[in-house]
Amino acid sequence: MEIYLQFILLGLGSGVIFAGLALGLVLTYRASGVVNFAHGAIAMYATYIFSSLLQEGAYPLPALPNPLALVEAMLGWFGIQVDLPDLPTFVQMGDSWPWPAALVIALATAGLIGFLFHYLVFRPLRYQPPLSKVVASVGLMLMLQAGIVIRFSNRARNVDNLLPNDGIDVLGTTVPADRFYLLAVILLATTILYLVFQRTKFGIRTRGAAENEQYATLLGISADRIAAINWILAGILAGLVGVLAAPITGLNPLNMTLFIIPALGAALVARFQSFWVAVWVGLGIGAGQSLLQIMEARLDWVPDINLSQGLPLLVIVIAMMARGQVLPSRGAVERGRLPMALPTRIRPRLMIFWLLFTSVVLIWASFEWRQAMINTLIGAVLALSLVVVTGFNGHISLAQLSLAGIAAFMLASLATDAGWPFPLAPLGAAVVATGFGLLIGVPALRVRGASLAIITLAAGVAIEVFFFKSDGWLAGDSTREVAAPSLFGIEFGPNSPFFLGDGKVPSPAFGLFVLAVLTLIFIAVIRLRQSMLGEQMLAVRANERAAAAAGVNVPAIKLAAFGIASFLAGIGGTLTAYKFGTFNMASFGVLGSLSLFAFAYLGGIATVSGSIYAGSLVSEGIGTLAFEKLFFPLGRYEAYLAGIFLVLTALIQPEGIDVFDRRERRRIGWGFVVLWRKLTRDPDRTKPEWATRIYPKPKPRRPKEAAELAAATGALGEKDPQ
Amino acid sequence: MTALLHTEGLTVAFGGVKACDGISLDVNEGELLGLIGPNGAGKTTFINAVTGFVPWSGRIVFDGGDLDGLPPHRIAHRGLTRTWQSLELFGDISVRANLEVAATKMTPTMAIRDYFGRSQKLAERVDATIEVLEMGEIMEQRPDDLSMGFRKLVGVARALVADSKLVLLDEPAAGLDRTETAWLAEKLRQVIDFGISVLLVDHDMGLVLNVSDRIHVIDFGKTIAIGTPDEIRNDEAVIGAYFGSSGGDA
Repeated sequence: MEIYLQFILLGLGSGVIFAGLALGLVLTYRASGVVNFAHGAIAMYATYIFSSLLQEGAYPLPALPNPLALVEAMLGWFGIQVDLPDLPTFVQMGDSWPWPAALVIALATAGLIGFLFHYLVFRPLRYQPPLSKVVASVGLMLMLQAGIVIRFSNRARNVDNLLPNDGIDVLGTTVPADRFYLLAVILLATTILYLVFQRTKFGIRTRGAAENEQYATLLGISADRIAAINWILAGILAGLVGVLAAPITGLNPLNMTLFIIPALGAALVARFQSFWVAVWVGLGIGAGQSLLQIMEARLDWVPDINLSQGLPLLVIVIAMMARGQVLPSRGAVERGRLPMALPTRIRPRLMIFWLLFTSVVLIWASFEWRQAMINTLIGAVLALSLVVVTGFNGHISLAQLSLAGIAAFMLASLATDAGWPFPLAPLGAAVVATGFGLLIGVPALRVRGASLAIITLAAGVAIEVFFFKSDGWLAGDSTREVAAPSLFGIEFGPNSPFFLGDGKVPSPAFGLFVLAVLTLIFIAVIRLRQSMLGEQMLAVRANERAAAAAGVNVPAIKLAAFGIASFLAGIGGTLTAYKFGTFNMASFGVLGSLSLFAFAYLGGIATVSGSIYAGSLVSEGIGTLAFEKLFFPLGRYEAYLAGIFLVLTALIQPEGIDVFDRRERRRIGWGFVVLWRKLTRDPDRTKPEWATRIYPKPKPRRPKEAAELAAATGALGEKDPQ
Repeated sequence: MTALLHTEGLTVAFGGVKACDGISLDVNEGELLGLIGPNGAGKTTFINAVTGFVPWSGRIVFDGGDLDGLPPHRIAHRGLTRTWQSLELFGDISVRANLEVAATKMTPTMAIRDYFGRSQKLAERVDATIEVLEMGEIMEQRPDDLSMGFRKLVGVARALVADSKLVLLDEPAAGLDRTETAWLAEKLRQVIDFGISVLLVDHDMGLVLNVSDRIHVIDFGKTIAIGTPDEIRNDEAVIGAYFGSSGGDA
């Protein structure tokens, strides 16, 4: 039995970091109503700074993109080779720092990050709908994570242990002492926070502001300053937890960033309100994971399926299902609105032009452009799945790429193992993905906004660890062959022969096949937007209560959105599998899901045409390739820039590039063409329909006859009850 | 005359507070019943209960069928619709789409058929409502861009478009000035002329007393008076509830 106790105690190590992060999540939520997905990334960032200072005496500067690199590249077009200065990367101060100094600087940085998050991002977003806040915090998470990868690469890093960790005996088993010191630190922090919130004026003001921001403001409390202070505290706390726990959990740019998921689970059980509940649940998840691990190894009746990794998801789902809409709302007004779902019209001439253009690229362009075009087309299919579920129905799903992965895996099983013929195998695979998508959609019947984002993120991770990881259910199957699709004896895989072009990979036949699939789906989703089903989705997005009162079967509509979106994601997944010729789990990771969401949002998540922009932006897509050809290789900056632009989009242009383009095309971009059109345009030409939607006609005056009516009916309102 | 909507001892409790305490009320077919009461009397709670948004006890019969346990959208499908005091429109889709969403009871088959072409019947029904309420000029705009009066009108239209038998109007005149109220009153009269019953909840005594056939007065969740507008005007209990216990002429 000792071994189980030992593992429970060992698990406290990761439990402490979950608990510590959960504590910070509760703090920021109570202070500003934001669920900060980037909280784990702050801890990770601070820990890297600490370890870098301690070991090398180097302080990593934030990885800002260097505008001079653009200048260098543009001069290069004219054959001028210049070497403009690069931005500094590290500030070197001595060889290695004493730990207290390194700790102070690391924590100060973490506090500063917390403050900047609040001041630059979440304060401006405070009246925006949850979608914008989730998007921004996911963007910040990508940014911090990719920023560290730029400076330190993906490799794991050693962190010196500040706590004594000689073994101590507990109930007959030996456990390193650092767990207990950590536990003491976190319990002390919780006690302090608890007392501050219960006893001090500051704490009471924070609670007041959380209860009703408007009233608190009327009482002269600056909800803003209170939020700022709490954000700084949360940042420092995250840094401290990261630095102290890293020797136990290990440190790389991803693992600590994703510790946010169990922490979110703990915070969710605490309804983002109770510090103590969050901490105990966080510790429980850590201990439970460790216990499950040893049980899987030791006991025969416990299936060896990575249960321990699924525990956080389980906790989250149970908390959600038990509690329904768990996040208490603040008395704040939402003034912002969701991205407008402008309809996209099918304009045959424009469509034929783009189809021809794309076909030409797919057939005659060089290898890399063909490949990039295919990536873009597949990216657009995947983005369309988010357009349906997030754009039309308002649900944030961070698991779409994981669903695509399931379809890709199923394709390998159905087509290769079971020998299903072409259209059946990918369709069947997509149907399986739909089933999983519906499963993820079930919690959406009761929760939305940030809570749903948490659930889908956890589901994505669970799919990854259960199915795709080396020790998951599909162990050993992580790469499987997928045969090229063929119909009526004509093969159109990436290596299939084609009568035009250079006869090399990727085959134009495959490219045209993908183009045909995208075109079909594109038109289908345009039609969906115009159909009753699409309108009902938008009605549910706008107002669930009112939709129900208007006779809309809200749960059915939500499930329909999840189902359709998962099916599209599944199709995207099968296309990816065909492209590689194998099922490759690496293409369907959770970071990929987050990036996909980022690109879809950037492109324009609520409009069908936005998916095309999203597709161009994806990694190795056509837009990315064009940028790299024109300027410089993006490399590690790609994810980083995606994060930055995601945050900026949420802040300035929540509708994404597509609507921005539709709105601003007259002012920028097309310059001369537009000027020419303006000069030659028929003045009587009516505005296109979307234009009247974006620039609404002046508000109609009250009907003329209203005044007469009032006179005629004897001004009903004027009579007194007597 | 059989009552279209019949409630018996309808009680809604929030914790220890009874927002509606045994309200028994009948709305007859083709009738405009006013439901009034001071702030916090339980008027909106009554509407929320009848339309399935808060749990209640007692009995609600609508059009011969029991409403117990039905979710809101089912109740709407039976022909009992409502408007909201806080409007609750679908702000970012067109007025026309607002009505289309409410105009149909959608089944999977219908959803698929509609996907390949909008049904003529649906379009006609929406057009008819738009015509009756004379809102053609705002049809393509989004409610977010409309004036308060027009938004109220969209709310009413959305409740009517589904072939409703009874519409519950929650404070339709709140936030409107006198001219707008008069205009709205005229529209409401038109609605009743089409044979639709109305339960009107409003603060504006003038509006309610002038357009209602009968009036039901509640205070602190309990019925304090039922009668014609004239009877209500002179009812001591009503005057007491509104103007304090001393009563007397208002």
